[in-house]
Amino acid sequence: MKISTRGRYGVRLLIDLAEHADQSHVPLAQIADRQKVSARYLEQVAVILKRAGYIRSIKGASGGYALSRNPVDIMIGDVLRTLEGDMLVVDNPRPGEEESLLQRCIRTSVYSCLNERIASVIDTISLSSLVGTRDDADSPMYYI
Amino acid sequence: MKKTLTVSGSVGMFIKTTKKLGDNMRISTRGRYSLEAILFLALLPADALVSTREISEKTGISDGYLEQLFILLRKPGIISGVRGAQGGYRLGKPAGDITVGDILRTVEGPLAPVSCLDKESCPSEAECRTRFTWQKLYTEIQHCIDALRISDLVRAYHSMEETEGAL
Repeated sequence: MKISTRGRYGVRLLIDLAEHADQSHVPLAQIADRQKVSARYLEQVAVILKRAGYIRSIKGASGGYALSRNPVDIMIGDVLRTLEGDMLVVDNPRPGEEESLLQRCIRTSVYSCLNERIASVIDTISLSSLVGTRDDADSPMYYI
Repeated sequence: MKKTLTVSGSVGMFIKTTKKLGDNMRISTRGRYSLEAILFLALLPADALVSTREISEKTGISDGYLEQLFILLRKPGIISGVRGAQGGYRLGKPAGDITVGDILRTVEGPLAPVSCLDKESCPSEAECRTRFTWQKLYTEIQHCIDALRISDLVRAYHSMEETEGAL
């Protein structure tokens, strides 16, 4: 029951971008340096986040990444599901798969409870809440 | 992801090491099979003893795997074993005194969603923006599994049985 490094670094990458939104875009090497992660690994995570539409990349010597959505609208649960596949504690039963009453009882009593609790945490935390509160007046603009 | 397991290698050999996307928050077969086997034991008449072979026949979990799990589950007294021809396993304490959390922690190791939460302190704790989220997640997970007793599962089982019998 662990969140992978991909999930953890992905969230940190987004937080870093949100905290440096005053720059039009941030080179990945800077983020890697601040977050003490290899730039090569972070690049792999960035590719997934870009494909999912959380960030956009600017090519070139002064290139880098920037958020493509407002941090208020980015929920950590969605980010984690993008990076981890899903956040369920067990697989859903495959179609046609026979489940014993024993298994069904544990699923409804234990696994469903855990899945709901996990979702209730990660689906109520936005990226902006992790960055820290900011006044609307000085919050930067985000372009899609 | 490094598995923080305090379990002997013999159990480890049963564990799949495939790391596809989305496997990480999964409870392993160790946890799932243990819950199944313990609920099975809890549903038996008090003091009935069953062999792992019988449990295996009823649940489809391999006999050998059950033996490995039961070694772990005996240590904290969740189950107890009686040797001999008439021997077998039964719950080591009343079903109301065993929580799902007891079982999962025994066979899965620490359940923190990120391993840094298991450590006493973290050098970057002060500037870490995500620790709060992971801690909250961990707290919710623990609340859920520590509030669920095996006796609750027995009750849920019987009410499901009744409902389905009525259909």
